Amino acid sequence: MTSGDHELHTLAGAFVLDAVSDTERASFAAHLAGCAECRADVSELREAAARLGTAQAVRPRPELRAQAIQAAYQTSQLAPVAGRRTNDHGTRRPARPGRRHRHRVVPAVIGTAAALAIAAGVAVGTHYADQQGQRSQQRARMIAEVLNSPDAVMRTAPVAAGGMAIIVTSGHEHMGVFIAHGLPALPRARSYEVWLMGPHGEHPAGLLSVRAKGMAGPVLIGPMSPGDMVGLTVEPASGSLRPTSAPVVLIGPKSR
Amino acid sequence: MAAVARGDEGAYEAVYDLTAGWVLGVARKVVRDPALAEEVMQEVLLDVWRRASRFDPALGSGVTWVMTLAHRRAVDRVRSERSHASRELRAATAVIDYDDVTEAVEASLDAERVRRCLTSLTELQRECVSLAYYGGYSYREVAELLGVPAGTVKTRMRDGLIRLRDCLGVQP
Repeated sequence: MTSGDHELHTLAGAFVLDAVSDTERASFAAHLAGCAECRADVSELREAAARLGTAQAVRPRPELRAQAIQAAYQTSQLAPVAGRRTNDHGTRRPARPGRRHRHRVVPAVIGTAAALAIAAGVAVGTHYADQQGQRSQQRARMIAEVLNSPDAVMRTAPVAAGGMAIIVTSGHEHMGVFIAHGLPALPRARSYEVWLMGPHGEHPAGLLSVRAKGMAGPVLIGPMSPGDMVGLTVEPASGSLRPTSAPVVLIGPKSR
Repeated sequence: MAAVARGDEGAYEAVYDLTAGWVLGVARKVVRDPALAEEVMQEVLLDVWRRASRFDPALGSGVTWVMTLAHRRAVDRVRSERSHASRELRAATAVIDYDDVTEAVEASLDAERVRRCLTSLTELQRECVSLAYYGGYSYREVAELLGVPAGTVKTRMRDGLIRLRDCLGVQP
């Protein structure tokens, strides 16, 4: 144990009592991730600290109950943390990225790579919201809603030229969010374009700009009808009204 | 909690009935304003509903998880309120915090036991734990208030909680 570790080790009490700064909380949490003994320590001390709280019980006004319950039912719940798994020692390890199968249908709890893509997607959604005002804010909110919805279903498919496409759909497939990572960069004169491809033809769903590590999206797609697919094509930089090349990936409910 | 995470409304109502009084109790103790405490309670219980899927039974009991959320939110709230208050006022409030600790809020066997266990701590341990948990002070602030080195406060907090854990017979 280094002296730095020792410093952190003694922080367990203050950490459990919420008596640390945000920076210390973050570094102690990071320390916990690699110290099984500290985790056991903290969970025991937490139980003790919680008793300091439960000893202070007071009866809430009865009318608060209906308010609280109604508020809850009007609020959507978070999906489980993607890729979280607990092994026998109580430590977390990431689930294996879901890259082995083509077009497999999985619940929203999926591989780390895809989870990172989603996290990046949400961050980008927020960024757009700052840049482009209210309409985009609403779009960002809808994206977050799809990603966080309890019935969210995620599908992944490899992109022909490299990379992975991900689509998350929710609410009985009405809305979808398209994200990709590892996409190859295109020449300046070309752009990726996303399409909603259904029985009634192709509808442009937006141009996809590729950022670091081939991350792209999120693109909000919808409303989707049963049988709709989402396709990605390479188009002239300004985009096309109809696809001018074959999709590099086609992903959707029927891609299984 | 797993049932709450699945959106089971009956399970959520049961969790509310079990924990609301505890959550309100800790909120009131820390923020000391009854209206603000009710606000904190409602926020915490909504958080329990939203985040139920993130509850990990490997890391402790459901009650402890709820109380952890509750204390954290109450402390965040009182710190943002307090950042406007003067240092003198803070010092004065700290004394009140500590005096409160020895008063029973609601007579219950559990409360009685916790109170008795708190008296088994050394005076410095008890002050450190109480100022942090009930007063919402950081260990640095506690050090300043008590005129004790910050390193000492950190170790007293840990030792105090260990003694409390042993006295309460907390099962790991």
